[in-house]
Amino acid sequence: MEILGIFRDIESAGRGVEGLLRAGFTEAQITSLTSVSYPDGVLVKTDRRSWFRWLALAGGIVGVVAGFCLSAGTAWLYPVQTGDKPIIAFYPTGIVTFELTMLFAIVGTMVGMFLEMRLPPLGKRLYDPAIAEGCIGISVTAHAGGEIVSCGRGTTPGECIGTIASVPVKEQKSLAEEIMREAGAIRVIAEATL
Amino acid sequence: MSESHESYSSHESHKTNGTHATNETKTAGQLNDELLSSLRPPTRRWYLLAFFLGAVVAWGLFAFTWQVTHGMYVTGKDRPVMWGFYITGFVFWVGLSHSGTMVSAILRLSRANWRRPILRAAEAMTVFSITVAGLFPLIHLGRNWIFYYLIPYPNQRGLWPNFRSALLWDVTAITSYIIGSSIFLYLGMLPDLAVARDRSSGRRQQLYTVLAMGWRGTAREWVVYHQASTLMAALIIPVAVSVHSIVAWDFAVTVVPGWHSTIFPPYFVIGAILSGVAAVITLMIIIRRAFHLEEYLTPLHFDNMGKILLVISLLWSYAYFVEVQTTWYAHEPIEWEVFSFMANKYTFLLLLMLVGNSLLPITAMCFKRLRRSIGVMLSVSLLVNVAMFIERFLIIVPSLSHKNMPFIWGSYRPSWVEISVNIAALAGFALLYTFFAKLFPIVAVTDVRELEVREARVPLGRAEVPTVAGEE
Repeated sequence: MEILGIFRDIESAGRGVEGLLRAGFTEAQITSLTSVSYPDGVLVKTDRRSWFRWLALAGGIVGVVAGFCLSAGTAWLYPVQTGDKPIIAFYPTGIVTFELTMLFAIVGTMVGMFLEMRLPPLGKRLYDPAIAEGCIGISVTAHAGGEIVSCGRGTTPGECIGTIASVPVKEQKSLAEEIMREAGAIRVIAEATL
Repeated sequence: MSESHESYSSHESHKTNGTHATNETKTAGQLNDELLSSLRPPTRRWYLLAFFLGAVVAWGLFAFTWQVTHGMYVTGKDRPVMWGFYITGFVFWVGLSHSGTMVSAILRLSRANWRRPILRAAEAMTVFSITVAGLFPLIHLGRNWIFYYLIPYPNQRGLWPNFRSALLWDVTAITSYIIGSSIFLYLGMLPDLAVARDRSSGRRQQLYTVLAMGWRGTAREWVVYHQASTLMAALIIPVAVSVHSIVAWDFAVTVVPGWHSTIFPPYFVIGAILSGVAAVITLMIIIRRAFHLEEYLTPLHFDNMGKILLVISLLWSYAYFVEVQTTWYAHEPIEWEVFSFMANKYTFLLLLMLVGNSLLPITAMCFKRLRRSIGVMLSVSLLVNVAMFIERFLIIVPSLSHKNMPFIWGSYRPSWVEISVNIAALAGFALLYTFFAKLFPIVAVTDVRELEVREARVPLGRAEVPTVAGEE
């Protein structure tokens, strides 16, 4: 379950995050929703590792193969003898292969970026248009006891689910709402209230 | 019309700001209002402009239809000059497209903060100018209705494009560049589309909702977004360089006197950046005036762009000098004949080219006061592009006019059809840009706001310190 608090300014949002951490939520359960990016640690701490570059690389490799097949492969399949030039020529093959390599790497970067961001989302997620106007959203994910949680590579269960998980989800929600309101949230919305 | 009125609302009453900065700092709502002012319902002047540009495009379409129905004889092309105004236009527009994405990518990689308000204008310019450029080879083809013979797919005709031809390299490179620069433009717009989505209604909101892909601006989304933007910037630069190098190879790999030169690819790339930088400056001035963005596109931006123009103009002058000096020293008869013919027949154009590309920008851009003068920058940037179009013309026509066989020497004069199509291309570019500016944020809203957040200062004792550390 996701709980989203909307704060008017960055100081109160920061207080909200600190309160949540003190209550037993972990950094992995808390994220910020902002219309401009803030340096890591100003609001929340985020894992800066990403894997989408591998998809860019994979795209590049597909591009190499596609470019080579298109220029050299088809020249071999449809040979056209011009002057004393070889059927499969080095420079034209290199140029076409380069272009397709870069194209596929660019496409791979974009596809990888969206996959890593998990966009577009499959279901409706909490959001508030006030975020576009400069408000700060602090989102907390409450996990129920026994719920299967994907912690991510290199993260221990203790890092991705806090001690708060021992408390029923309803209580986690009430606690998060209370903390965020005390910190100065102008409103708090939760998935159940959608 | 009523749709457009309900579709975008300004949030004048919003007084929230995520930065809690000092009083002089504008609220996020105010910044959004100002930077997204281009999305407000079109005025009568906007409709008049769109109608005028549309009429010019329609005239160009009429001229093209005339060419299709009557044949290529209605153009000025004839032996030996079989590349004329269309290929001039093609090379010019490819060149223009060169700089938008490249300037944006280089400034992004070098983390130059002054880049932020000009990114979108530059990136959009690339997409529309490369689109216009891509039309010229099709217009130039002759039997345009069988252009699909160029597309590589197995067919009953038993034809397959010959990838050893430089023209096929063009097709590949331009296709890659159109797709790559469109993705680069879209990527840069993603957070802004989310802001536009949250402030609009009706059909516009539906459009922005689809394009924003559910962006919420989570900390993780921002991290991945910045990493992807940096990687994309690094990937797009070699593509941009390769595109214009390949266009240069269209000429350089032939044995036509005046073209067969190793300096051509770097010379074309430098020329392309020169015309592109000048075009970005022109567009910045127009956008600044049209959407009242004087506070965001400040003299500092023109000063910095002027410095870039100065450096590129010096490089262009050097490359041109190297090309002419090498030819003059070798004095190969047929090579020198081309240069002599150009200097005699096109003296005025040659001088205008040298003044516009070299003399004027170098002298004017040395002075800070001139670089910060909007009027001077507009004049210089426009003249650079006029000179650059002439340069493309002088590369193509004199060499073809006086090739290796003197018994078929000739000359070329563009017909009304070619001139009309070229003017329509300019109008088409302007029309696409006008529509884009009305439909999408023309200034990178979140980029500019991010800078405002970073530069906002809060009191600490007797001093004022930056709100946020300047990490990218």
